[in-house]
Amino acid sequence: MKESVLSAGIDIGTSTTQLVFSRITIENTASMVSVPRMSIVDKEVIYRSDIHFTPLKSRTEIDGDEIRKLIEGEYNKAGIRPSDLQTGAVIITGDTARKENASEVLKNLSDLAGDFVVATAGPSLEGIIAGKGAGADLYSREKGAVVANLDVGGGTTNIAVFRNGEVIDTACLDIGGRLIRFTDSKRNVAYLSDKIKILLSKMNINICEGDILSHADAKRVSAKMACVLEEVIGVKTPSKDLDLLITDCDLRRDYQIDYVTFSGGVADCIEKADRSLDDYTYGDIGILLGHAIADSDLSVKRDVLKSIETIRATVVGAGSHTTDISGSTITVTGSALPIQNIPVLKLTSDDEDLPVEKWGEVIKRKVKWYRLENEQQKLALAFKGRRNISFSQIQVLADSIIYGLENGSEDDSPLIIVVENDLAKALGQTLKVRLDFNRDVICIDTVKVENGDYIDIGRELSESKVVPVIVKTLLFNY
Amino acid sequence: MRLKTKLFGTLYEFKDLNDVMAKANEEKSGDKLAGIAAATVSEMTAAKEVLSNITLADLRNNPAVPYEDDEVTRIIQDGVNEKIYNELKNFTVAEFREWILSHETTGADLRRASRGITSEMVAAVTKLMSNLDLIYGASKIKITAHCNTTIGEDGVLAFRLQPNHTTDDVDGIRLSLFEGLSYGAGDAVLGLNPVYDTVEPVSNVLRMFHEIKEKFEIPTQTCVLAHVTTQMDAIKQGAPADLIFQSIAGSEKGNTAFGLNASVLSEARDLMLKEGTCEGPNVMYFETGQGSELSSEAHHGVDQLTMEARCYGFAKKYKPYIVNTVVGFIGPEYLYDSKQVIRAGLEDHFMGKLTGISMGVDACYTNHMKADQNDIENLSVLLTAAGCNYFMSIPHGDDIMLNYQCTGYHEVPSLRETLNRKPIREFEIWLEKMGIYENGKLSKRAGDASIFIK
Amino acid sequence: MISEDRIKGIIENVLREMGSGEISTDLRTREATVSDDDIVDFGATDLRKQLLVPNSANEEAYLKLKETTPARLGIWRAGPRYMTQTQLRFRADHASAQDAVFNSVSEEFIKEWGILEVSSKCKDKDEFLTRPDLGRQINDETAEILRKNCVNKPKVQIVIVEGLSSTAIEVNARDTFESLTQGLKGHGIEGGTPFFIRNGRVPSMDSVSEVLQPEVTVALVGERPGLATSESLSCYIAYKASTSIPESARTVVSNIHQMGTPSVEAGAHIADIVVKILEQKTSGIDLK
Repeated sequence: MKESVLSAGIDIGTSTTQLVFSRITIENTASMVSVPRMSIVDKEVIYRSDIHFTPLKSRTEIDGDEIRKLIEGEYNKAGIRPSDLQTGAVIITGDTARKENASEVLKNLSDLAGDFVVATAGPSLEGIIAGKGAGADLYSREKGAVVANLDVGGGTTNIAVFRNGEVIDTACLDIGGRLIRFTDSKRNVAYLSDKIKILLSKMNINICEGDILSHADAKRVSAKMACVLEEVIGVKTPSKDLDLLITDCDLRRDYQIDYVTFSGGVADCIEKADRSLDDYTYGDIGILLGHAIADSDLSVKRDVLKSIETIRATVVGAGSHTTDISGSTITVTGSALPIQNIPVLKLTSDDEDLPVEKWGEVIKRKVKWYRLENEQQKLALAFKGRRNISFSQIQVLADSIIYGLENGSEDDSPLIIVVENDLAKALGQTLKVRLDFNRDVICIDTVKVENGDYIDIGRELSESKVVPVIVKTLLFNY
Repeated sequence: MRLKTKLFGTLYEFKDLNDVMAKANEEKSGDKLAGIAAATVSEMTAAKEVLSNITLADLRNNPAVPYEDDEVTRIIQDGVNEKIYNELKNFTVAEFREWILSHETTGADLRRASRGITSEMVAAVTKLMSNLDLIYGASKIKITAHCNTTIGEDGVLAFRLQPNHTTDDVDGIRLSLFEGLSYGAGDAVLGLNPVYDTVEPVSNVLRMFHEIKEKFEIPTQTCVLAHVTTQMDAIKQGAPADLIFQSIAGSEKGNTAFGLNASVLSEARDLMLKEGTCEGPNVMYFETGQGSELSSEAHHGVDQLTMEARCYGFAKKYKPYIVNTVVGFIGPEYLYDSKQVIRAGLEDHFMGKLTGISMGVDACYTNHMKADQNDIENLSVLLTAAGCNYFMSIPHGDDIMLNYQCTGYHEVPSLRETLNRKPIREFEIWLEKMGIYENGKLSKRAGDASIFIK
Repeated sequence: MISEDRIKGIIENVLREMGSGEISTDLRTREATVSDDDIVDFGATDLRKQLLVPNSANEEAYLKLKETTPARLGIWRAGPRYMTQTQLRFRADHASAQDAVFNSVSEEFIKEWGILEVSSKCKDKDEFLTRPDLGRQINDETAEILRKNCVNKPKVQIVIVEGLSSTAIEVNARDTFESLTQGLKGHGIEGGTPFFIRNGRVPSMDSVSEVLQPEVTVALVGERPGLATSESLSCYIAYKASTSIPESARTVVSNIHQMGTPSVEAGAHIADIVVKILEQKTSGIDLK
């Protein structure tokens, strides 16, 4: 049994906006005579848009109407209708300032992106998505090594570190090709980011917007940025400049990075040996920054691997690598799906160690506390669950869940349960029976979530009966 | 043909040659299940005596399954070199046995003889052999074959590396492969039994084997043991394979149950010679096992040993690189316990060698059989002494996919060191190059699969 | 090898040097009175997480790849031979598999469950193992017992067939059965009278179906054990089962055990398959 899902990835970045369509293939990987185990077996990008400059109304405001036109144009070119899509992610990346009108932009796009959309992501998630798009996670699994992807874009550098296919660390820095922009090829400065202003003054380069930056200074500041990247990766001892340019969190550097990959717009200028292009072709310092990174110790002291995607890493990551699928035996009743942005309330392992008879009180207490803190009433109850649960225990578990989640009022919204271990069908069936079939139940498994995550759950796929799932980890704590 | 005899005052009379053959067999639960076994050990011995006086000509003229009815019989009979047969045909089975065991008879004589005899003669003489007869007789016969490397040379014991996985997970297969290599396994073939018998997964594993073989420059052969037609489709679509595999039976009807016939195998061989990735000329890999004909009701009332011998006669036509019996896989209704499995293993190996094919043994047992790991360790030592070309090897002897146990990766160095055997020469050089072998033995690094991961 | 006594001696010396020689006697007494709870179950080690190769070239990658396979890898060696601990675990797993095959489902278990027990034509385990033909059949008396005690022509007949693993039946059959029954009830389907077939093989489901004539027969059968688990249960489902239908007309769900598909989850899944079979009036390869 093979089935494919069409997914869209849209990346609205500081400087460029891109779109991809990916086909995600799902196949049963269990033997014919077992309970099916559907897995994602292939992800293929079937359409890549042109790389557009992000239309802006002002320096900090994205032009939602123009974005819409641009995306619509790409849909038409690809011959894909929004209704063809089962899943996807829209990501607004780069300067946080830009994100002020993000929700408005997203609203503008909602009908185009199907009913399955990821909102803005934090820098950690951006870095992870780009790293997956660049293939750093794959490399780390193949080589059994630690691989760091540096997504060097226009406004920021997002770093995600993978070990054996899993993220172990992230960081974000104010390093990018368009933090200094020029109005013309004579290096007339049009824009300087605030952090860069501080950096320049520390380097005794005293210029403002409107001044001319000398070629030598442009090279110096690019080299400085490359130097800070050496520091963050652990090739050089960290300096005050690193502290300055870190935007949210630094890497821990308590592990050894074996390999480095580069993605983002600047990555192409790192890889290309040919330097015939004029240094200021793009009216910014991107090319110089690329050269500075290429000349730095990063590529000497760490093995650099060729990224699968460079400038398109984030959009491919968004299109191909954000969607996961649930386990194959699940319970979905009614027509509540798809649902988006459902906050996850997860029981702790201490909670789970209690006998299931006691779970009802725990859930009730946590839900009450949660509802005091949050406006949104909808939530997904998550727990790991025991693999070897008996039939009688599952009855008790179902009763505890129903008791814990009932809120007194006439609530007929569906129960949303997300379990890590394989028991969602039996649990869902039991919940239905215990609820006298009066309330819809969405009970899925083989999905790992954490407290504070948000989850999107798509419609059941027609053949395989699994649901696409996107887990949005907003916080990345270690 | 004399079909009766007298023993300790009792007259034993047999219906026909097939009846003699069946009753002359050492005890096998499968022959009992088929209702053709001797009722007592005395009757068995009587049958052996009758058989000992049958001539090879009688056996030629009375094939177990009639020539007209069965393609396998035709292939065996038509393959006989008449000149050599004429030299041997007047031997009784007893004389044939003694000739095989004689100091005067060399391995070359036996290899030549193999071209003039039929599978029924091979089976008949086996029934008169004790276990040590089987070991001694087989040890005289050296059969080599060449695919990318040569198997079967003197003093060499090769192993198939069998990295089976419950879901054909490529990473899981890869780790098992690496670990096997790190114990010196894999010179016979890197061969997976796939869970999914379809073109795509089979091609995926073949490609992965090929990549690893190329990357580390391993002198060996690769194979994925799906149904022959699946492999052919994969190869036609460009999948790289050195050997093509099929399970075969000793009757046409049995082969039909396996979904094949002689022309399918000829086609497979031709395809491999044209599109396989190996040097050749030996490009086929077969598996067999006593009892499979009965389980598909294709035994024609013939005992399982004779049917097994016919598998080898059939296999010989296709000049295989390797053939092995999966001796303890079928279960206690065919081979009841370790005693029967050990006997069958020795019989099958001897018969394969006497037929003239490059013979290996999957020394194994299932969990519903009265046998354990010690028994197949015993069998593997006996077979190594008998000059067996190769065994299987799997992690700790536990096949997680086929749910049976056989020889493990650790048996590879253990048998070689204990009985002074070496890997296939090119492979041994490679093991030294990789630092897995030092001075003809495992190095300190051996047993660490992660030397292949970086 | 350093003997245990020598290690103890070293520890005693160290402790004495630290000025607390008293503890050495403590050590001895504690050893004598070690509580049962402190004893490690050597069959419970998760082999996927165990790497015994010392100073391996890439330990992390080794462990990560080990997660992808239940094969016994990274087990290291003593010379060319197995380490003692892995050899013992192998023997233990084989013992567990053999126990599952050669022992019978206890009569107490069936009594406690409260279901009817009948037998195939095999008179004992040995005959069961060597005569697969008899394990498929029931005799006339058994047919009569079924006729008398069971609902005739039920929509769904569930049978528990001992098969090749008594352990699988004792550990997983009941939860699978209960969950399946609950699932069927959810669809408004009542099952017939469940019963247990001792020394039965899979096709015994056909023989009993010819007597009771259910629309769908569901057999929960003990699978031939591997070393990874001896508790694996299989489920065979057939529409209008009889001894004349081919094997390919059975829908199979195997690998029901704690590490495969948990029994309650499998039961819920099987219920959906039964519903599908009732809708399509066919089973096995023809079932869409």
